[in-house]
Amino acid sequence: MGAPVLIASDVCKRFGPVQALRNVDFRLEPGEVHALLGINGAGKSTFIKILSGALQKDSGAIRIGGEDVHFRAPEDAIRAGIATVQQHPELVPDMSGLDNIFLGRETASRSLMGRIDREALEARADALLARFAVPIDLSQEVGQMSAVEREAVAILQAIAVDGIRVLILDEPTSTLTDVEREDLFALMNQLRAQGIAIIYITHQLEEVFAIADSFSVFRGGACVARMSVDEARSSGVSLADLMLGEAVGDIFPKKADPDARGDVFLEVRDLSLTHGFENVSFTAHRGEILGLFGLVGSGCDELAKSIFGVDPPDQGEIRIHGKPVSLRKPREALDAGIFLVPGDRRTEGLALSRHSLFNVPMANLRRAAGGRWGLKSRQLRSDIQRLTDQVALHPPHLNTPASGFSGGNQQKIVLAKGLYSEADIYIFVEPTVGVDIGARAKIYGLMRDLSERAAVIVVSSDCDEVHGVADRTIALHKGRHVEPESGVFSRDDLLMAGIMGKGSL
Amino acid sequence: MRTWKDRMRHSTRGLGFVALVLIVAAIFGALEPRFLSYVSLNGIARHMAANGLAALGLTFVVIVRKFDLSIAGVAAFCAMSMGALIAAGWPLWSVILAGLALGAVIGGISGIAISRFGLPDIVTTIAVGSIGTGLAFIYTGGRSIFQNFFTSGITDLNDAKLMGLGVSMWLLVAIYALAWFVLSRTRTGLAFYATGENPMAAHFSGIATRRFVALAYVLCAMCTVLAVLLILAESGTAETNKGANLMMPAYAGVFLGAAIMGGTSVIASFGGILLITMLLDGFALMGLPYYYSDGVVSLILLIGVLAFSDGARGTLEALRFLFWPQKPTKPTAKGSDA
Repeated sequence: MGAPVLIASDVCKRFGPVQALRNVDFRLEPGEVHALLGINGAGKSTFIKILSGALQKDSGAIRIGGEDVHFRAPEDAIRAGIATVQQHPELVPDMSGLDNIFLGRETASRSLMGRIDREALEARADALLARFAVPIDLSQEVGQMSAVEREAVAILQAIAVDGIRVLILDEPTSTLTDVEREDLFALMNQLRAQGIAIIYITHQLEEVFAIADSFSVFRGGACVARMSVDEARSSGVSLADLMLGEAVGDIFPKKADPDARGDVFLEVRDLSLTHGFENVSFTAHRGEILGLFGLVGSGCDELAKSIFGVDPPDQGEIRIHGKPVSLRKPREALDAGIFLVPGDRRTEGLALSRHSLFNVPMANLRRAAGGRWGLKSRQLRSDIQRLTDQVALHPPHLNTPASGFSGGNQQKIVLAKGLYSEADIYIFVEPTVGVDIGARAKIYGLMRDLSERAAVIVVSSDCDEVHGVADRTIALHKGRHVEPESGVFSRDDLLMAGIMGKGSL
Repeated sequence: MRTWKDRMRHSTRGLGFVALVLIVAAIFGALEPRFLSYVSLNGIARHMAANGLAALGLTFVVIVRKFDLSIAGVAAFCAMSMGALIAAGWPLWSVILAGLALGAVIGGISGIAISRFGLPDIVTTIAVGSIGTGLAFIYTGGRSIFQNFFTSGITDLNDAKLMGLGVSMWLLVAIYALAWFVLSRTRTGLAFYATGENPMAAHFSGIATRRFVALAYVLCAMCTVLAVLLILAESGTAETNKGANLMMPAYAGVFLGAAIMGGTSVIASFGGILLITMLLDGFALMGLPYYYSDGVVSLILLIGVLAFSDGARGTLEALRFLFWPQKPTKPTAKGSDA
């Protein structure tokens, strides 16, 4: 290893009363893929924002290639050779990949009337693709691209600037399928081979061993550990323990006792939706968690929304407590006792600028008003207090806007909303995307508690999650459901069923 | 539980608002002693009643995060329609009901076009407003209507007093109280706010968002009708330009109130429109020509919203930093567990 490309020492940052970063020391070698781990609120994001110039450190020093740097704005960081790809990259969907990559730097001239030289742009793109062979058609509109292609465009955009030495990737895999993830790793390997150091944030611990050379663990605003992956592998240290600061057991709760399985609450027969899914049938019982595993595009999300009345199915039958129902909109589904914890909590689940008192009762305003018109404020407040305690909302502030909480705690607010709506069939779609490991364990535990009185269905593209939390699993592949041949899916069979559509290997 | 701090922050904003009103009153009073006279204050109350009703209607539309630019057109058409009915000898109560019904229909057309058929709100309401402005001419070709006004009793709405306060002011207070109750104390109010905050999440929560958007436009048009009714009562004639000056103060009141109170609400709109009306009347009293009034209101709106925006707070913070770089903070003994 040569001289480190980036050294941070004693970096501190304070927001009001909160010490977000405490004397952080950090080192990055050229051509190293370095994972940044930590639960939400551990200080990773703050540290990344300081490195990328979005925030300014209070004290401490950052050296790049041995020189002291001080970033006042993201442009300063880019000029110094640090490029960042945000968790949800901001790309223009109507423009081609090529145009997005060079957006704002089409020409060398600063003039507003500078003519765009298509050929020169394409030549630059070709040069870029010659360095990093990505199987991607850059003339396609970004809006038409898959998640991994968009991520690749965002990465190419970030490194299209000359002199980039450090690339920061903020949870790039959170929206990718397992297959797509491999493509991204291939690109990262090429970057590494070119000597670009990568700082990589992830919640998926197995990814660390798959791609990273070394990692740092943040906890409570401090960098508590830095080691190489080889060291970690040989010492058998638990990353989850390092992140949480204490030994965690299995994050999944105990499975239900098969004898405790209750009545069929929801039965779906031969449900079909054009461009969604075909002839899907399953039953969900009280007392168990049913797992539905499917990759992005498998029709899982559509199926959940269809049952919830967002996009009613074209064909088939839904029975609730044995009675056939027709659910044409979410209101009817809620009235029938179904609650959907949507996959995209920020757009479909929460009014982000509002606090819990606003968000929690939203799906059951009738209860909030005690069956009448005027709200029963005191009752409402104590009910919501009880529910936020039950889901262990942290910090336990009822008046903080939802946007002020971490992803995991936002999900807990949605959960409290679901509990308030008093449904007896709960459908969770991608319940732990962007949720740290501590909050995940809590959410799984809550699902288990919920299953004692309700039918719980978990729909996810994370095979381990479905297998870990559900008592019974089925897979969805290209819109068709796949059931195990032997009655139960093993973890690997479930994965194969979701990827290949086969009942068993 | 609502924390002590939240209560403080909330009441601080309210107190700040009251202080602002008192300061404005004191400045005008000092510059022009007539401003604080009974006649002038009574005038402010009357103008506030009309402006305030228009602002209240707009409040519903702004809460569902839409715009209504048809206020002036709706006001003109409904003013002439009510004037024509009065001239035709209809009893006052039936004229008011007919006006409200007409307003509800026009608001319903905008509302359904926007919520059900997904037309852009700004273009739709400009179009509907322009149609209204045009239709205002069908009764008389643009001449004013004044027949039967004095015998119909409509002018009593302007002159009659109840416990020393004009009837129009009572109407304003009553309707604001009702709207306050609906928006902040009922499930309908929560549904309105949810529709505006995140229509998708509201839909997923079983809230009929389209219905609430359409309803907001209906209520806005009906409130506009009440506002123009008070203007007819004050002037004793119906003219096609009645209500042309309702829109800008309404927007200014809603947005200035929201900026100061930290969010759109009935109380914020009430305070906002009080402030705007005082400023308008004060400037008029000091001899500012009426044709500048929209400009002045707009200027105040921009300054007010800028002054209370988060960006401005950042600027102030930066200025403070220039002169006083280190905020004096107490050293914390237990900084380690932050």
